[in-house]
Amino acid sequence: MIYDLELDKVVKKIGKSKLVCIQLPDGLKSEADNIVDYLEEKTNAKVIIWAGNCYGACDIPSGLRLIGVEKLFCFGHNRFNKVEGW
Amino acid sequence: MEVMFLDTPYKKEFKLNKKTLDYLKKYKKVGVYSSVQFISKLNNVLKQLKENKVEYCTSKPKRANKEFQILGCDVFHGSLNLKKDVDCFLYIGDGEFHPLALVLLQKDSKKFKEVLTYNPIGNKFEVLTQKNVIRILKKYKGSLLKFLNSNNIGVLVTVKPGQQQFKQSLKLEKMYDKKFYYFVDNDMNFNNLENFNFIDCWVNTTCPRIGFDDAVNFRSMVNLNDALNAKEILSKESILNKK
Repeated sequence: MIYDLELDKVVKKIGKSKLVCIQLPDGLKSEADNIVDYLEEKTNAKVIIWAGNCYGACDIPSGLRLIGVEKLFCFGHNRFNKVEGW
Repeated sequence: MEVMFLDTPYKKEFKLNKKTLDYLKKYKKVGVYSSVQFISKLNNVLKQLKENKVEYCTSKPKRANKEFQILGCDVFHGSLNLKKDVDCFLYIGDGEFHPLALVLLQKDSKKFKEVLTYNPIGNKFEVLTQKNVIRILKKYKGSLLKFLNSNNIGVLVTVKPGQQQFKQSLKLEKMYDKKFYYFVDNDMNFNNLENFNFIDCWVNTTCPRIGFDDAVNFRSMVNLNDALNAKEILSKESILNKK
């Protein structure tokens, strides 16, 4: 793996959460199983995988709350400063 | 729901290869940009530029979170917030998505500046020019003309908070004597849009790259910013209007 997935940060952030979701850009989707296995071993959370796009920090899935997701971990992007009207 | 972003930084140190440095000799001032994975490893590159007497500058674009960072949506004139004039751009990173933003943002400029790319993963140097987007720009200019001459306009709005521009899109109704129909979705699916055959031209208010890269194979579509300024864009001397 040529990228640092920063999983220690994720473990710390998960804390006592019970259900979290990971969102990965296409280039990291093949690592999803390793990430889930690691996080479920290190925490008590159920970790689910967003199956859709991950084009940027602007591309956060809506509706995850409906199934009780407490935290979303978006890999490969950082905070996006939205501009009205671009 | 809390969201945590992870930069997933590239682990290895790298330097520009000889081909990149030799090509850079053509230029005095370069605007340096990168994607978030590579920003923490740019020190060696910046040192090389100094050693080779290439002046560099950068900026924190409007939507980005860090200096040197370019996003795929930085495709509008002024998106970069770059205060100094540069002779060319140098992009450090992999893929074409981000550096093509540096090409597309020049569509309303008079003179084109080359976008040099160095990919540390493949140790590969490339030069992007207007030729890389010629199909997109030809189609896009046609779409702008179509927009001005159409009556039934479909406005695409997403519910994704980061891309949602519904309020801004309502400005269209005040500016133009046309009928605007608003369509809302999560991800835009062009196959679904084909069924709305009463629409003459679409205005995209979601990710602006959909209006450029994806719409090239679709019916007429323009981005919101350009729809709001269509007459001005089509009337000035620019790279777009040379096509």
